[in-house]
Amino acid sequence: MNPANIQIRSHLNGPGADESAPYGSDRHKTRWLAACTARLGGTIIDAARYPYSMRCSEFKDLHCSFVDDTLAGVELVRMQRHIAECADCARLDASVRRSLMLVRSLQPIEPSADFAFRLDARLRECRLSQASVTGGRFRTVAAIGAIASLIMLGYVAETMKVTDQRHTLPEIVLPPAVAMAIPPDTTPVPSIVASVSAGMPIWPAALLVEQGGLQTVSYTQPR
Amino acid sequence: MATAARKTLPALAHAELVGSTIRDRLRTAEDSEVVSAFLSGEERAFSELVERYQTRLLNFIYRTIGDREKAEDLVQEVFIRVYRHLHRFDRSKKFSTWVYTIASNLAKNELRNRSRNPLVLFQTITKNWQDEERPLQFEDPGNRPDDLFRKRDIREKVEEAVGQLPEHHRNVFVLRELEGKSYEEIAEITHTNLGTVKSRLNRARNSFAEIIGPWLG
Repeated sequence: MNPANIQIRSHLNGPGADESAPYGSDRHKTRWLAACTARLGGTIIDAARYPYSMRCSEFKDLHCSFVDDTLAGVELVRMQRHIAECADCARLDASVRRSLMLVRSLQPIEPSADFAFRLDARLRECRLSQASVTGGRFRTVAAIGAIASLIMLGYVAETMKVTDQRHTLPEIVLPPAVAMAIPPDTTPVPSIVASVSAGMPIWPAALLVEQGGLQTVSYTQPR
Repeated sequence: MATAARKTLPALAHAELVGSTIRDRLRTAEDSEVVSAFLSGEERAFSELVERYQTRLLNFIYRTIGDREKAEDLVQEVFIRVYRHLHRFDRSKKFSTWVYTIASNLAKNELRNRSRNPLVLFQTITKNWQDEERPLQFEDPGNRPDDLFRKRDIREKVEEAVGQLPEHHRNVFVLRELEGKSYEEIAEITHTNLGTVKSRLNRARNSFAEIIGPWLG
């Protein structure tokens, strides 16, 4: 079995774990992993028994924080222990730190002498363009306002013109009213013949005549 | 305008009264105070911001794109954008993060444009060749020529190695190693999450060490 393929499960308590977890060189590491595999008879190694050792992949994952010195105390100790145990990772750590020292020691470059002049010139242009944009906006708004006013005025004028036209329209001349004589009603009215006894008092008789549209005919019996 | 600035910044007005100039007061003020002063109409505050950030931004952009002249142009563009849009800046956030975000975006655009236009890339390379032919005494006349050569050689090798990193790794690498930004700030500037920043930085550091390793011996 290739020792590189051995899976180390960190939270599994298994029997037969080796307390020494000793990798100092590649050869040593290979031999140790092979021995563990042989003892366990499988591919799982219990890493819970090795609180101070870690896998190289874990070391590489944490290396960024390790270099920046932002690891918690326990992790820091584990990383340092791993460096002491693993030559590959120790080499990687050293090379990264050396190269970073080189980068950080680089002298910063300074802006050229005419940088400030050029920037000033550009800022002036910027101010002018901003002012012209603001002025342009004002002019645009003013122009739009003027056009709107003109349109409004035109509309009002047109409306007034229409109103005037309405006033000057010729009046409708109606035909003259001609009084016409109403022809007499010739419809026959049913004649009601009522007789009132002479002995009736005069006022009820007069009322009857008025309401009934009757005509009074006086009749005096000849003697 | 200046009156408005004095009204909103009584400390500055007071400083002027006691004989100290506004410029001196601005020099010691926090970025946020300088920004407030500029927004209140104090034009000198902008010069202070330029003073503070021009070298840092130039180095950041230069290390990212590898062309000094273009880097200066881009730094100017950063300041023009800041000048135009400072009123839109969310003052609850850090000014430096905002300014680096603008610079980072401009540098990214420049690299993108270059990759689309091989002629620009060629011109940049030939310009660098011409740079190498410059006489040494213009760089640091106080040093001995062999020291000078070694220093220049180191710088060129480091710049070359940085330039070989993939763009998104390089960006994070420069922000962290040369600008000293925190992981959180880098995440904000590059619009990525913290995990991505750490992972990219780790890879960038390893790649850089691998590239520069043979030269270091």
